[in-house]
Amino acid sequence: MNESERGKEEFYSEVQELIEGLSRDLLSLDDQEKRKKVEPDLVNDIFRAVHTLKGLAGLFGASRLGVLSHNLEEILDDLRLGRRPLTREAIDLLFKSIDAYGQLLHMEQSQEVDVPPALEQFFQDLSRFVHVSEGPALAPLAEYELDAGLLSVLTEYEEHRLRTNIQQGMSLFRVRTIFKLQTIDEELEQLKSVAKPLGEIITYLPTGGGDSDTIELEVLMASGAPPGQLQKTLGGPLIRIEELARRSSAPAPAPASEEHGHESLAPAKEVDSDPHELRPTPGLQTASLKSVSQTVRVDIRKLDSLMNIVGELAIVRASLARIMERVRGQGALRELGVELHRLHRAFDRHLGQMQDGILEVRMVPIGQIFDRLGRIARQASREAGKQINLVITGAETEVDKLIVEELSDPLMHMVRNAIDHGIEGPEERQRVGKPEQGTIAINAFQKGSHVYLEVEDDGRGMDPARLIETAIQRGFLSEQDSRELSHQDAFALIFLPGFSTKTTVDMLAGRGVGMDVVKTNISRLGGVIDVQSDVGVGTKMTITLPITLAILSALIVHVGGQPFAVPLSSVQEALVFDPANLRTVDNREVMTLRGATLPVARLARLFQMEEQNRGFVVVVAAGSRRLGLVVDYLEGQQDIVIKPLGPSLRQVRGFAGAAQLGDQRVGLVLDSPALVEEILAGEVGKTPLGLRRGMA
Amino acid sequence: MVNSRGSRQLGRRAQAAERGGVTEFLALRLGSEIYGVPLTHVREILVAPPLTQVPRAPHDVLGIINVRGHLVTVIDLKRRLGLPDLEPPRKGRVLLVPGPEGELLGLSVDEVLQVYRLSESEIEPAGVLGGNVAEHVAGIGRRDGALLILLSPRALLGGAA
Repeated sequence: MNESERGKEEFYSEVQELIEGLSRDLLSLDDQEKRKKVEPDLVNDIFRAVHTLKGLAGLFGASRLGVLSHNLEEILDDLRLGRRPLTREAIDLLFKSIDAYGQLLHMEQSQEVDVPPALEQFFQDLSRFVHVSEGPALAPLAEYELDAGLLSVLTEYEEHRLRTNIQQGMSLFRVRTIFKLQTIDEELEQLKSVAKPLGEIITYLPTGGGDSDTIELEVLMASGAPPGQLQKTLGGPLIRIEELARRSSAPAPAPASEEHGHESLAPAKEVDSDPHELRPTPGLQTASLKSVSQTVRVDIRKLDSLMNIVGELAIVRASLARIMERVRGQGALRELGVELHRLHRAFDRHLGQMQDGILEVRMVPIGQIFDRLGRIARQASREAGKQINLVITGAETEVDKLIVEELSDPLMHMVRNAIDHGIEGPEERQRVGKPEQGTIAINAFQKGSHVYLEVEDDGRGMDPARLIETAIQRGFLSEQDSRELSHQDAFALIFLPGFSTKTTVDMLAGRGVGMDVVKTNISRLGGVIDVQSDVGVGTKMTITLPITLAILSALIVHVGGQPFAVPLSSVQEALVFDPANLRTVDNREVMTLRGATLPVARLARLFQMEEQNRGFVVVVAAGSRRLGLVVDYLEGQQDIVIKPLGPSLRQVRGFAGAAQLGDQRVGLVLDSPALVEEILAGEVGKTPLGLRRGMA
Repeated sequence: MVNSRGSRQLGRRAQAAERGGVTEFLALRLGSEIYGVPLTHVREILVAPPLTQVPRAPHDVLGIINVRGHLVTVIDLKRRLGLPDLEPPRKGRVLLVPGPEGELLGLSVDEVLQVYRLSESEIEPAGVLGGNVAEHVAGIGRRDGALLILLSPRALLGGAA
């Protein structure tokens, strides 16, 4: 990749990040607007993001991105300055612009020239909107005895904020405080953060007071809190607070300070009052510069290759351990052996730290995709004419970057399905006594080396009997086999390819749209998906995923003289195999484990290898289902770097890949969910369902 | 094992040779017969490394090996060609050849012999063997009384299972 290409890549990913941030902020804005409590800082953040986008687009000659950003900037500037009210129309337009950004970015990347008509239409709508301005009535400033000197130094934005605050019935305060010159940035930041819960700082100006080491500032603040509370919260020996007099209200104290204020505010006229430039405080500026310089964007492939090196090092470590054992066995070399042992331990520890470090770098909060989901949910619920409340918890749960990327499509499908088929229309909800607004809860959390993702709706739920009926109608299932299906099995029907068709809009079909794809994607990530549903109450789907794909702990077992790795995440327990415990039920081998029936598969037989010992049973689980794998013997636990099998072995089922196990040995990694699926599907019988699931 | 410099040299020589109307073939033995594959198709020759069997893989897949951190699927060339599987490999080698979808495949052979430089006059088309010749046979090479069955790598691997 040459310099300019790399620059472009950087540009794309930076724009992508900005768009994602923008999308997140817009959701908050939407939310705040609904609660009629819009935070001015949020509008500023959005304005700033668009401003940055405009700059970037200019830098890289992406003119269409530039034009879009420019128009948005105009609208946002009007919004933040109160020249235009924040209407639903404006918010909708902003939301649409996120999609437009996405499309434009894609076009930039693929160097497409033709703008799709829909996008062209949006551009026209946007520019029409820019030129319509509805100036809201100005709030009266006259109510306060603010002198012209003060008003003249306020920027347009500050004036707007002042008016808004007065309109909201806030009182104005003048806060005088003395800062040390050396630490003014930090002290100012601290003051701001302390003041924020109480009100808004409109502006601050130096009074000209203070000695060579200090500076006196006068802060104009709007707050609904009583002066006493302000004094208590902000207070300190160096802070004085006065309330500004209101013309109509009771006489205010200290006209002298008013005069003083005039004098002190006067010298600050040189302050830049360009309405397009938010005046960043010195403190803010340094803080943001810092955060930029401390972040690096890294291609995930580079991390993969680092992880491969760690894998190779782990093999070196294993060889070292063997040499160490040999040295220790020889009496004459005892001292050397002890030293080697110490070195080996240090090597082991540092390697472990390095592995953890690389894994940590790959981890990103899963919330990244939730932002996108919010937007999709909003759109889908509008299209479906349903009111949806998307409740997200656990957005900070960290998962491997690759998994997060791959999760976004399946999650989108699931949320869409929940909206389209799970949540009832408002009338129906009212009739059954549910709140009109449906709730979709997405919950992410970590447990052990797994991440759990739940998507739960309070919709109409799925009826197993109806699912089975549909499956029989469609020829997925014979009537006879259907009697043997448990509820759990019935829900699994929705994952069959083509289970639902568009011709049926009854209450349970339709669910299957894309669910087979969801399942395929999840299993490709080494995850499983479980469904629980109660008619009339709702549906809950739980995805269980490994935290990382890069490296996994595995139990090394031997079958037919060859090592196999079983991902430890799927292993529940391992026990000594007792042939006396084995029973045959309907031609299937099962054993009893603590009073419960456990289906058993002899791996050697399954893989057509020579059974040598069959000494142990490894119990693996996929979702709520369990299976005992009979193996020759257990070798132990090892961390492995898993690699995919080549395209020539793609159709071979039952293996997730292979890994190097040391001594040049390559071991196949068992795909436990697929094996569980295969064996348990066989139990249903040789039905179309069984065959299908066995092959899938 | 031919190191990477070695394999680059192989490649360069093969290219130069083809320009002069001469093609270089690597001669290899499968059972009692001698086969030739275009040298340009051979990336590397490996002494057969420890092999891991893949259960449920197609019949002609011997297993997978680890080549400097990459997994390579090894195909038994004899099985792929439908030849009897008699001798246990002793001088067995694995040729790394490009397969479909950018995958590097290993071809297991009984023995690697030498490189033949064959001019066009020394190559007969497969048609001389009659109508019923396997698709993967591209022709017959003759040199000093030796007979070389020339393989078409594309026909051999194109349908790689």
